[in-house]
Amino acid sequence: MARVELNLSLNRVEGDLEIAVVLEDGVVAEARTVGTLYRGFEQIMLGRAPRDSLVITPRVCGICGTAHLYSAVLALEQIWQVPVPPNAVRIRNLCLIAEGIQNDLRQTFLFFAPDFCNPRYRDQAWFAELTERFEPFRGSIYRQTLAQSRKAVEVVAQFGGQWPHSSYMLPGGVTIPPDLRRILACRAVLDDIQHWYEQVIVGAPLDEWLALDSADAYFEWLETPAHADSALGLLSRCARSLGLHGMAAGTRHMLSFGAWCDPQQASGRLLPGGFYDGDSATLSPFDQQLVNEHVRHSWFRPYPGGRHPLNGETVPDFQPNSDRYTWAKAPRYGDKAVQTGPLAELLIGGDALIRSLHAAEGGNAWLRQFARVRRIAYELAGARRMLEELAADIGQPHILNPAKSAEIDGEGFGLIMAARGALGHWLKIEDGVIAQYQIVTPTAWNASPRDSNGLPGHWEQSLVGVAVQDPDDPIEIGHIIRSHDPCLVCTVHMLDSGKKLRFAP
Amino acid sequence: MATLFWLQTGACGGDSLAILSAETPSLEQLLTDHGVELLWHPSLSHQPMSQHDAIYQRIVSGEQTLDILCVEGSIVTAPRGTGLYDSYRGRAKMEMVRELAQQAGVVVAMGTCAAFGGVHAAAPNPSDCIGLQFDRDRPGGLLPPEWRSRRGLPVVNVAGCPAHPHTMTQTLAGLAAGWPLPLDGLNRPQAFFNTIVHQGCTRNEYHEYDIEELEPGGRACLFFNLGCQGPMTQAVCNSDLWNGVSSKTRAGVPCFGCTSPTFPREADLFSTPKIGDIPVRLPLGVERARYMAYKNLARAAAPARVRDKEMDV
Repeated sequence: MARVELNLSLNRVEGDLEIAVVLEDGVVAEARTVGTLYRGFEQIMLGRAPRDSLVITPRVCGICGTAHLYSAVLALEQIWQVPVPPNAVRIRNLCLIAEGIQNDLRQTFLFFAPDFCNPRYRDQAWFAELTERFEPFRGSIYRQTLAQSRKAVEVVAQFGGQWPHSSYMLPGGVTIPPDLRRILACRAVLDDIQHWYEQVIVGAPLDEWLALDSADAYFEWLETPAHADSALGLLSRCARSLGLHGMAAGTRHMLSFGAWCDPQQASGRLLPGGFYDGDSATLSPFDQQLVNEHVRHSWFRPYPGGRHPLNGETVPDFQPNSDRYTWAKAPRYGDKAVQTGPLAELLIGGDALIRSLHAAEGGNAWLRQFARVRRIAYELAGARRMLEELAADIGQPHILNPAKSAEIDGEGFGLIMAARGALGHWLKIEDGVIAQYQIVTPTAWNASPRDSNGLPGHWEQSLVGVAVQDPDDPIEIGHIIRSHDPCLVCTVHMLDSGKKLRFAP
Repeated sequence: MATLFWLQTGACGGDSLAILSAETPSLEQLLTDHGVELLWHPSLSHQPMSQHDAIYQRIVSGEQTLDILCVEGSIVTAPRGTGLYDSYRGRAKMEMVRELAQQAGVVVAMGTCAAFGGVHAAAPNPSDCIGLQFDRDRPGGLLPPEWRSRRGLPVVNVAGCPAHPHTMTQTLAGLAAGWPLPLDGLNRPQAFFNTIVHQGCTRNEYHEYDIEELEPGGRACLFFNLGCQGPMTQAVCNSDLWNGVSSKTRAGVPCFGCTSPTFPREADLFSTPKIGDIPVRLPLGVERARYMAYKNLARAAAPARVRDKEMDV
């Protein structure tokens, strides 16, 4: 039996990641995700003024800064019991949506789709058409995506001053009101993106596309010229012709914190969250007390079992030549490894088409990517609703600053759906400064290593069983890992073939 | 053609994402019209990683000319100076930076992390981060102060967290053209750092008349009470707007001074340290006694529309 170990170098904005894969006769028998970068945000936060989290933590990630800002401000508001005016919630949602649109476009068309331009596929019927559209810097969709995604973040800049990295959400609201100029400027941007999405990406008006509610209806529609020739149609045809719809289910359990706060009741969510138990195919409400993090296989000071983030610690303990292999912790929900992202968000949130496709074929690499493009329709509709509500209620307050006496010690958390999935900040304030800060990112859920019970994380599970045709360019693994939105590009590197090599940083 | 290799070290990717927002020139224009040949970018290159390694080897061996090396992210030196808290296939990234820098026509630090250490170097600096040729505000980071690239330049510090999109693409366009690039005392290209954030801020009139906000969310100036560093921070944020539309101070967010080597400050970032009534740090070059006298007069002279904060910003 030929047994080789591949070392996949996986580059992402939140840090770097490598994946060690053991191949047996060309099939992945075992995978380990390896976070290769440690920066220590949790320590940097200690002893700082609580509001400093609004400046420091967005810098965890250059692509999800708005989501980190949102989580951080929700946590402070929970501790200080600060009410938030509806218009502030609308502006926050609008900015989070714009960041989401930016991500979903770039992830799909700049990072996922170019893999199909790989020369290995040159004999496929779709290859010429695909290259013409998706080749980096040359393809028509690639170039349009560059232009449309930079327009999308103008919406964040209108209210936050810039994207990435701003700090415009503060306890009690946001820093500027929704004046008519900003609302109309945002609307112009979003209208343009919507026209392009309808005409080029899905080939149908938004309402018609959102009304599509079953797998059968979609597959029928996939054959119609309008959709077959669209960017999503082309991507679906290619991905399905390569079998990506039957690959890489990973863990069947899914997690969503619920997308976008309800302006009328900030604890509610416009798209409901919850936990989807893949074993029983049932949904249950999310209970944050069930979140814990394990470090058994991570380079942190060991502790037994898992710990809730409020009791967690992040003390580096680098042991490169041991059975510990990553800077990522292993978050678990109950004792379960879960996946999170657009598929989880729409499945749990109740999108009929995603539920139907999931029921028909299970979770898979194609459906994850498909859900990301589908989510853009929800984002566009949600953004429009926020703008209309703001315009109708423009004179209402955008911030209610808490009284100094409200800024008490305590503990709390902020949970949000970032572009890549469930993001949580947990913190404690003691003597007026931050005494504990733990962040659990979406990628931490998906890219988690084994836990104290030896249970592999979602990516690790989803790679097992995948056949790799060319270990020098294991493009299959690229498709799969990128379908999980690993922040940016994932790249693959082969160590010496034919013998087992232990990856040791 | 000027060859460019982009390397990420201890980064959040924010500079790579920010440069995608550039429009004059855009990243794609750099590649099509400004003579930049992108050898590798970790987020945008789609070739297999074996090609990355091959290019890297050819550069290090001198077979491939490297005109511009962009480094994005802090230089991680922990643990104990090995740099292994930030590795690529078991090798410290800081060693790769050292090797590539020796071959590069010019080395560009993209963002405050690469320039000075940045947010990751904030106390207690858990991963012992430094910049490429600065350690916060002290000369000498990974490379000694006297180090010069093949083209005779120190590390060019395109500071900012993230760096401003046009400051990045215009610096690269100038370098690709081979034009001279005068630098300031912190090795930042003068053309983009010889202006302060306060210049062009739409809240300036409120500042002139000393109408200051006490809490966030208002229209007036953020300098006296809310920690704004705009009057002492050198950057184009208000003269070349972010994403073509705005800036932090226009949006009511204090400038945190992210192009400065001491970013982020250790103290409460949303407050302004003062001695008596006067901020400890005054606008660039301003004398304390004169500032007091002038501000009192200005406040008395403020027109009602400013005093009552009637004017939108």
